[in-house]
Amino acid sequence: MKKGIFFGFLVLVFLMSFPFTSHAQLKPGQPIVIGVPTALGSIEGRDGWMAIQMAVEEINAKGGVQVGSTKHKIEAYSIDTREHEPGIPVHDALTAAEKLILEKKPHAIALGNFRSEVLLATMDLISKYKLPYICCIAMTPLLQKKVSEEYDKYKYIFRNCLNAPQLASYLGGVMGFIRKEFGLTNKAYIITQDVLWAKATGQGLQGWLKGNAWEVAAFDTYATGASDFSPSLIKARAQNAQVIVPIFDMPQSGILLKQARAMQIPAMLSGFISPVSCENAWGVFEGEVDGMINMVYEVGPIPVKAVPKSVEFNQNYGKRWGEKARTELSGHGPGPSYDSIYILANAFERAKTVEPDAVVKALEQTDMQGVVGRIRFGKDHQVAYGVDPKETALGVGFQWVKPGKRVVIYPDIVAEGKIQRPAYVK
Amino acid sequence: MIPSIIIYGLVNSVILALIAMGFSLTFGISGVANFAYGGFYILSGFIVWMLLNYLNFPLVLAIIVTIGVVGLLGFVTYWVILLRVRGIPLSEVIATFALGVGILELFRWMGFVTYEFTLPYLKKGTIMIVGVPLDYQRLFIIGIGLGLVLFLYFFTHYTRIGLAFRGIAQNERTAISLGIKSDWTAALSLAFGSAMASVAAIVILPLGIISINTGYEVLLIAVAVGIVGGLESVPGILVASLILGYAQIITGTYFKPEWMMVVYLAAIVLVLAIKPSGLFGKFKELEERV
Repeated sequence: MKKGIFFGFLVLVFLMSFPFTSHAQLKPGQPIVIGVPTALGSIEGRDGWMAIQMAVEEINAKGGVQVGSTKHKIEAYSIDTREHEPGIPVHDALTAAEKLILEKKPHAIALGNFRSEVLLATMDLISKYKLPYICCIAMTPLLQKKVSEEYDKYKYIFRNCLNAPQLASYLGGVMGFIRKEFGLTNKAYIITQDVLWAKATGQGLQGWLKGNAWEVAAFDTYATGASDFSPSLIKARAQNAQVIVPIFDMPQSGILLKQARAMQIPAMLSGFISPVSCENAWGVFEGEVDGMINMVYEVGPIPVKAVPKSVEFNQNYGKRWGEKARTELSGHGPGPSYDSIYILANAFERAKTVEPDAVVKALEQTDMQGVVGRIRFGKDHQVAYGVDPKETALGVGFQWVKPGKRVVIYPDIVAEGKIQRPAYVK
Repeated sequence: MIPSIIIYGLVNSVILALIAMGFSLTFGISGVANFAYGGFYILSGFIVWMLLNYLNFPLVLAIIVTIGVVGLLGFVTYWVILLRVRGIPLSEVIATFALGVGILELFRWMGFVTYEFTLPYLKKGTIMIVGVPLDYQRLFIIGIGLGLVLFLYFFTHYTRIGLAFRGIAQNERTAISLGIKSDWTAALSLAFGSAMASVAAIVILPLGIISINTGYEVLLIAVAVGIVGGLESVPGILVASLILGYAQIITGTYFKPEWMMVVYLAAIVLVLAIKPSGLFGKFKELEERV
């Protein structure tokens, strides 16, 4: 009897040691389930989730995804990880993601983590459940490092949004452009949020600036949630900084812009302030965004003629969610989130199964035109970003000009207007 | 750089004082640490925003209505929530903190989480002071901060309610024996403190956005300033605000901005270790000497 109980216990432990994995084979009529654990309270998470629902509706309207001999509808489920809020422990965000995985039993994860710190922890969770995962917001380059170093463990994780080094490269390109156009050559002042991706971007840009004859007056970081930037602005004025490079994703970062204008800082602002990338920012900030150069990490939230799908996405988003929602589209996340569903659908079709390892192989061979330009994953599972949307995915620098327009000025190849020198820049 | 530090340090100090005064007033009179303070602060911002954007109220009317509503809410909070736990400090803290979190998280649940929620400047424009540009909104902050201190002084020294406040604060039992109603005074102190949170929100929030997380930060600031200055002492609040306001700006300017938040925490630890009542606090002074 005792032996029987012991044996039964062993069998139970053996069975429990196998984590849940998504169903390898779909039954006819069974939907493909996509999990979307993200920070729904952030504008990037909110818009990304809306973009995903749009893509799901479009695919389902056409009959679904052809997996082998049968067509399957897609169902997407989200959960709010709240990871963008200061003070939310990584563990809480992980618990939310795992709850979604266990309850909804998704075949893949799209959009995913907002905060890089959480993404790195989530990678182990994803590896445990063997779920193809496309990251559309978090930007740390450590994702690629981990995929490259431990491929078998982390091969399920892909990223189709911009990463921090790519952003640094774009920002460097914009700085070179500013120098060429205005002859501003001596001092830049970097101010970033105290989070992994922003600091990595700032450090990358700092290296680029030093290597290109710029002097970096200072590199300041502010805690997430900070609302007073006057110390940096006082120093920027005292040191005659010509360009201030802010790198922030928190909603409060718009305060930096307002404070800079209130303090009449005679420097150009060129970088990324998340709220300032939206089309309605001119109205929200009462025109104080005038002259600022901001990034849209991935096109789509800003329609770029050279990428027809970005124009189409922008218009359709307005039709689906309303004009107000369209003007609120965040500059980071919506395009990749929308594309992620098409990338996954495409991979399921080519793999002819939802079996994770086969889907990973199919994802690695992705080559398609999306909202963000051409989508191809590198060996480290990062989509390549560059300046030509026919070859790579695309991010752009735009300038706010009167009467409240965003004009794409960088890269040259897709520019739709000329950069203007703001009146307040000496 | 020095003139900038002096001017913006003063602005920062007045902001801290504005935030902390309402909290201190309530605690000084009723002994209640109103941990719903951050909730009331953010609630004020959102009420003004909704009155302006949904009901098209003129700004001045929206401000008056908001201060009245939030003050009334403070008053009601005493009778509905605090009356039952009065005199049990831990229960008071838990009850008010729960209310504050409830208010803040309700707005988060309602989707008030983006950068769009901003309040307009009272007046746009900038003047130069010793070569340092200062916008009118920050000037208003300094003016309203000083005005509020003067108002509080005259109110507590020359009005019946104000004198009752002081009576209760000095010795509750004696005040009761002289006919001052303790519960009414405490409820009024909560109303005044909440209304002051509202005034602070209306003048400070236009500098940035109405962010829910600011509610938690405001509570931390109010507690930190209160602990350093002495929770029940208005002069203490002013001195602590100046110390912390300038310490923050100097830390951010000469050291690293990410250490600015540490200033609050370091000050709390230091003061609790050396003089737990705070620089001007009297509540526990005797025990400390013993």
